[in-house]
Amino acid sequence: MNAVISAKGLSKRYGNSVAVDNISFEIPAGRIIGLIGPNGSGKTTTLKAALGLIPFDGELKVLGKDPRTERDELMKDVCFIADVAVLPRWLRVSEAVDFVAGVHPKFDRKKAERYLAHTKLKPSMKVKEMSKGMIVQLHLALVMAIDAKLLVLDEPTLGLDILYRKQFYQNLLEDYFDENKTIIVTTHQVEEIEHILSDLMFIREGKIVLSATMDEVGERFVEVMVPAANIEAAKALKPIDERLIFGKAIMLFDGVPRAQLAELGETRNPGIADLFVATMKGTYA
Amino acid sequence: MNIAWNDNAPIYRQLKERVVGMMLDGLLKSGDALPSVRQIAADYQLNPITVSRAYQELADEALVEKRRGLGMYVTDGARDKLLSSERERFLREEWPAMIERIKRLGLDIEQLLRSANTGSAQ
Repeated sequence: MNAVISAKGLSKRYGNSVAVDNISFEIPAGRIIGLIGPNGSGKTTTLKAALGLIPFDGELKVLGKDPRTERDELMKDVCFIADVAVLPRWLRVSEAVDFVAGVHPKFDRKKAERYLAHTKLKPSMKVKEMSKGMIVQLHLALVMAIDAKLLVLDEPTLGLDILYRKQFYQNLLEDYFDENKTIIVTTHQVEEIEHILSDLMFIREGKIVLSATMDEVGERFVEVMVPAANIEAAKALKPIDERLIFGKAIMLFDGVPRAQLAELGETRNPGIADLFVATMKGTYA
Repeated sequence: MNIAWNDNAPIYRQLKERVVGMMLDGLLKSGDALPSVRQIAADYQLNPITVSRAYQELADEALVEKRRGLGMYVTDGARDKLLSSERERFLREEWPAMIERIKRLGLDIEQLLRSANTGSAQ
């Protein structure tokens, strides 16, 4: 019962289409996991299942509980910000704080108010007067003030400018995250969060195609600038991706020892974005 | 705050090198406190594990020490220790490579040393 989430053979179909296809994974505590996948790959469906928002097939435990039958109990320790999160337009900041204080036993009103004091949000302000960035700040203020064990962020920074995006993660790291908490985040802006993550999960067409700690990712994947003379030798090691730049081939390898690759050309660690593109090739074809 | 990390070394090592650089430059002196792991993680947008690992390596090399409940502090003599190990590394790795390159480019070492002493490039 150390795993925050453990899934075995988790599946979800909508009519004839399979959104999540028999996936299994475990997420330990104290991690920041990036769940990365193209549009329609099953990220949100997986998260919805974990939050008890949809029925599903297979086995799924969140903090040791079944989200289908123990959702109320579970929600005391789980928080969620969705890209489609909607707050009523007429709601005032103060009313939102009152509401959460009323329904959530682990909500710390002082903490929420302290956080709000650092923003331009005023207690009397209504949601309809707020920019997209301000609405996310309100959400974050409410969520960070809850002492939850698991925080699920589904495209939390979608549509925000870079200042709000940076601020968002800075707040999470400074005032929220610690080794007893776990954060799962999905985003398309992978470059921005890659150093924040401790674990990476790639999901494609309802299946998990990569699940590793960032340390493992750093060890497994190496990109090599291969000069023309070494291209044949490099190809024999079966790169998972290659592209040509200035007559040199940039090849991406999975699980080939770095020392061996260094003999073929200059090596470097690929970014998550490079890995993503290589792994997801042909998704929309 | 923004730093450009390069793709050739793990981030924790680059962070460690940055702290080492600050010690060598005298920006961090013996007895100075390092910023908290949380602060660095938030400012540089890094996973706290990455920051802890950089600090741990510095502690392993006795360049910083943990004071219970207070955080990490630069140890006495950290700069001297660094200077001697960095000097040794320079002589072992960088200097031979530099001599090799000077020869390959057909430059005159004596000439270079003289101009280095007078402070001009020519």
